[in-house]
Amino acid sequence: MAIDMQPESDRQPGREPGGREPDAPPPPARPWWRRPAVHTALAGAVIGYLLGHLLGNVIAGQYSQVVNSGQNDYAIVLGYVLGTLGWLAGLGVFSDLLRQMTGRPVHATEEARDASAGLARYFRYSLDHKVVGLQYLVGMIGFFLTGGLLAMAIRTELLSPSYHVFSSATYTAIVGEHGTMMMMMMSSLILGPLGNYLLPLMIGSKRMAFPRIEALSFWLTPAAYIVLLSGLMFGGFPFGWTGYAPLSVQATQGADAYAVAFGIMGISLILLGFNIIVTVICYRAPGMHWGRLPIFVWAMLTTSFLMVLAAPVLVGAMYMLITDRTVQTAFFTDDLGGSSYLWENLFWFFGHPEVYILALPGFGVVSEILPVFCRKPLFGYKVAAAGMVGVTLLSFFVWQHHLFDSGINPDMRPVFMLTTELISIPTGFIFLVAMGTFWKAKIRFTVPMLFALGFYFNFLIGGISGVYLSDVPADTTEHGTFFVMAHFHYTIMGGLIFAFMAGLYYWLPKMMGIRLNQTLGKIHFWTMFVFFNATFLPLFAVGMAGQPRRVYTYARSLETLNDWVSISSFLLGVSILIFVFNFVYSTVIARVHEEGNPWNSRGLEWQVSSPPPPGNFARVPVVLSGPYEYGVKDAPPVADLDPPLGVISNAYAAAAAEGAEV
Amino acid sequence: MSLAARVTTLIVAVLAVVGGVIFVVAHYLLGGPPTVDFAAATSGQVNVTMQTDASSDPATVPDHPTWVSYFIKSPASGSWVHTTLFQVPAHTRVNVTILGYDGSTPVRNQVWGQVSGTTGGVADYGGKPVKTVNGWNGPYLIQHTFAIPSLNLSVPVEAGPATCTTGPCTNNQHSTTTFSFMTPAQPGAYRWQCFVPCGLSYLDGNGGPMQTFGYMTGNMQVVS
Repeated sequence: MAIDMQPESDRQPGREPGGREPDAPPPPARPWWRRPAVHTALAGAVIGYLLGHLLGNVIAGQYSQVVNSGQNDYAIVLGYVLGTLGWLAGLGVFSDLLRQMTGRPVHATEEARDASAGLARYFRYSLDHKVVGLQYLVGMIGFFLTGGLLAMAIRTELLSPSYHVFSSATYTAIVGEHGTMMMMMMSSLILGPLGNYLLPLMIGSKRMAFPRIEALSFWLTPAAYIVLLSGLMFGGFPFGWTGYAPLSVQATQGADAYAVAFGIMGISLILLGFNIIVTVICYRAPGMHWGRLPIFVWAMLTTSFLMVLAAPVLVGAMYMLITDRTVQTAFFTDDLGGSSYLWENLFWFFGHPEVYILALPGFGVVSEILPVFCRKPLFGYKVAAAGMVGVTLLSFFVWQHHLFDSGINPDMRPVFMLTTELISIPTGFIFLVAMGTFWKAKIRFTVPMLFALGFYFNFLIGGISGVYLSDVPADTTEHGTFFVMAHFHYTIMGGLIFAFMAGLYYWLPKMMGIRLNQTLGKIHFWTMFVFFNATFLPLFAVGMAGQPRRVYTYARSLETLNDWVSISSFLLGVSILIFVFNFVYSTVIARVHEEGNPWNSRGLEWQVSSPPPPGNFARVPVVLSGPYEYGVKDAPPVADLDPPLGVISNAYAAAAAEGAEV
Repeated sequence: MSLAARVTTLIVAVLAVVGGVIFVVAHYLLGGPPTVDFAAATSGQVNVTMQTDASSDPATVPDHPTWVSYFIKSPASGSWVHTTLFQVPAHTRVNVTILGYDGSTPVRNQVWGQVSGTTGGVADYGGKPVKTVNGWNGPYLIQHTFAIPSLNLSVPVEAGPATCTTGPCTNNQHSTTTFSFMTPAQPGAYRWQCFVPCGLSYLDGNGGPMQTFGYMTGNMQVVS
């Protein structure tokens, strides 16, 4: 049922929980530097870190382990944890909670916060889902660019097998930072910005279910980013993004940064997923029943279940790793009674669903975009939703295919080979839906559509090579080579990033009221598509020839191919710069306003102005039909955005009186 | 907000973020130990002198003075440099002298007690050639190894008569291990490593100094 069903005008002004009386005078405005924002958060983080570090030195400074090793992991970990708490405290995350706990009025109601305008709100702990969505957007682009710069460093090193820009240790650390930045920090690439911004609009809600949790899920990500990057100050970590024990247990303090940052990001994922699940289930507008839910919302819902069920295992594993490194537990140390396999299983129990945490939102974005530019209903809507649910379920039963060559019980190999091959079936549903939608369609090749088509091309290669790798003999041959690397870059960069770009070009007019330059967008697409494939397709051959991952040198005979790949990757970087230029140019300098519905979409989010007004809808809409009825004769409008007063509450009251589920 | 204000805000934000990232990355990339240059070979040979110390003077090694560490003697200044990175010419004989200021740590696997890859297949302990050392019973005890796996070079380094904890040390209470080997014709970076797990208070002794440049692992850069 929809909780927020009462039309706005029916409400009587009242006292918000813990808030001021309606007629109470507003508190005096504080100067900007005393208002919680990024600058106070940074101050809180520094104070928290120093306090934690001091505490760690006081607690453990005299431990023989610390004295002998000269490495106080207690101080580092406590510094990171208290630094993160200080960061949040500086943002004012705990202010309202403390005020409510002590019976004092909060500084401002949610509505007052939402209504505050100006650039400054994007640097604050805003409870407006649209602000949080844009905060996520800028954050994710920043994380992506950082990871991309590290990728450029990797390809620079691999220009030659004998002349080295970096040492082998530095190269390994760069690879680890790149992988962790891309896999960990980018987990919320689509759900963070597009999900938080669009979900309430797409289901006819005025807000997310838990605005504070929503904001917290975002503000944890910059903390994780800073902690992760700070690992470089301690020499980095030598074990890639997978953090295999015992290497991660015995590594230097860069490993503390890895474990804490990943843990923080895991908490962020749990909060994000939990909030989306509750919002979808409880905050849908009247008439937005499950059969009318936009397919992108289905993708967000299934992804959120993955986040909520898989990320706790990750957080637990990181916690165990931290205790192994500090208080000398031995969860992952074989000769002390633990098991390094335990780490591998815990990590991949999260790690493989994580792949679908990245992929499913991409499926949702492109499936959402297809009908708009094909001007046809989405073919097999239920099949697409079922495919996403199927992928979600099966993704928890495939993780041991990452351990085929680790020495696991050989009897387990066929089981996980089968489950891995099975998951290609629901994944194939997404392609079937696309093929059916393309059939006899008059396709409009706009920039979002081009990126969506690029997604299908790339993900097909990534998916087929994945089926090949799921086969135990093939995996045994290619394990640890660039072939595997090429495979997952096709699924994640070729899939997720292309889908993200499609979504961004499609929804940015909605989110910012500004349309990205289409000519630059097309240049961006074609350069990115060509150089993405020029970069990663040859890596299948390089991998087949035996070049191992995470090693800074290789056989001389592979130098030409590697040079081709490196030069292509630099040009791929140029294509990303074209996007950055387009983004900055269009949103800051040129600013071509787009307030209507430029794509003639039937999506509910497009039925309100761009950007949407505070509260999204003047009244909670009544949804009348599905979002994909393009070309359907006599199709009713998507929703009644101005339902008569009392019609919703009366309908619910009548239904409740009859005992119906509402 | 005016165009000028938007652009100014953008520039400030970009500079702040880019500056922060560059600071971290530069700190990391430029923060490594220096490389000692032995590239000027005399009559086809270079002489490399190193020492091993149980711990170091905090004034010299502020990062991790408690870690076991190698030092390399600079041929230019004659001073001890806290590094494990050195550069030598290709296809050249390298005469290595290691002064041992650290105590004994028996090898866990006797394979590391064998000398391999050196000229003549031996190393000299105080002038006496040895091929295999029993690190548990003597007569020679082992403290560390100097090994370049890609060249099949592995030399157990004799333990010193006393333990010096204020490296770099200059007293005479040290062992002397000498050996020679040929650098390959192929230029490149050749990783070397101590294979006696000597990272005290790390899991299995393999953490900390064992995996950090400047201590028990490094690179031999071969140049043409």
